[in-house]
Amino acid sequence: MNTLSVKVNRSSGGGFQHRKRGNKTKDLNITSLIDILTILLVFMIKNISMDSTRKNAPEGMLLPTTITTNELIESGKAVYLKIYPDRILYGTESMRVGSLQDFLNKPEIRNSLLRLLQMESRAIISGNSKPCLLIQADKELPCLYITEFIKFSAQASFANIYFSAIHTDNKSEVLGL
Amino acid sequence: MAYGPSKNRSRSQSEPREPNLIPIMNLFIVIIPLLMTIMVTVHLAMIEITLPTDSAGGGDEDTEQLEDLPKVITLALLPDRFEILVEGVEDIITIPQTSAGKYDYFMLDSNMALLKDSNENQGTIDLLPDPTVKFDTLLRSIDICKSNNFPNIKYLTSSTKYYKAK
Repeated sequence: MNTLSVKVNRSSGGGFQHRKRGNKTKDLNITSLIDILTILLVFMIKNISMDSTRKNAPEGMLLPTTITTNELIESGKAVYLKIYPDRILYGTESMRVGSLQDFLNKPEIRNSLLRLLQMESRAIISGNSKPCLLIQADKELPCLYITEFIKFSAQASFANIYFSAIHTDNKSEVLGL
Repeated sequence: MAYGPSKNRSRSQSEPREPNLIPIMNLFIVIIPLLMTIMVTVHLAMIEITLPTDSAGGGDEDTEQLEDLPKVITLALLPDRFEILVEGVEDIITIPQTSAGKYDYFMLDSNMALLKDSNENQGTIDLLPDPTVKFDTLLRSIDICKSNNFPNIKYLTSSTKYYKAK
């Protein structure tokens, strides 16, 4: 229950002035918060990469770690191939090709993927660029599939093949120390 | 009758009025999550490999030049060990696993550094992975080769090799 305090106002002829307790609210000082947020904003703008949409790690895929890195060749254009333990995705749109077993055992799957790669390769060459294949594969995947895909891409005129990995500066991490 | 300036007016001139920070706060609340969603936290690297090409046979006049050619170094990734074969050297360098499923990358790195010292003009490693070896092992091995100044990695895809494992 609010109690009312009564104070005699001497300056205004001795009348009573009523004041409600707790009416005066203290303003929240958010200046320090603004300072922190400004620093955070500057840091994020500095670190942001406009290229990130095309170089993001595929979702749900464990990529290996490397210390060395190569740049895409001059006038090279990359075609993405994501190889998960249970599925193969093609292109930046992540079009589902099928499972790994389908790829090995079903000729129609292989033929359709080969046609896709050949079409893409021809389109890149006609645009005066060099076709490059960027393989993003799960670290637990056996090399059998990698070898198959490399053979496959060679048939579709992809001479430049790249593997995707997570970059680190710590060599001990690669050496497993 | 003239009146002096009011008390309120004099107070507002002497005390600086605090800016309204609420719109700035609102802006930050929108921008920061937006930037956090598009910020790159993982830097991806690309590792280039080359495919083997059919080399044409040389004539007799090329025999002198062939002597100057660097020795072919082949690294085989086997299910339980690494093996390195240097052309013209009978002894195969074998690097067994330290424990089941754990390759000795440290020894591979040391051997690659030694091989680079003895074959300075060689910049290519022929890589022969066993089909059962994991992609992680393959990429780590490529990385070790590249970090020891062997920038060209030739991925051998053929099933019949000139290299004969032990």
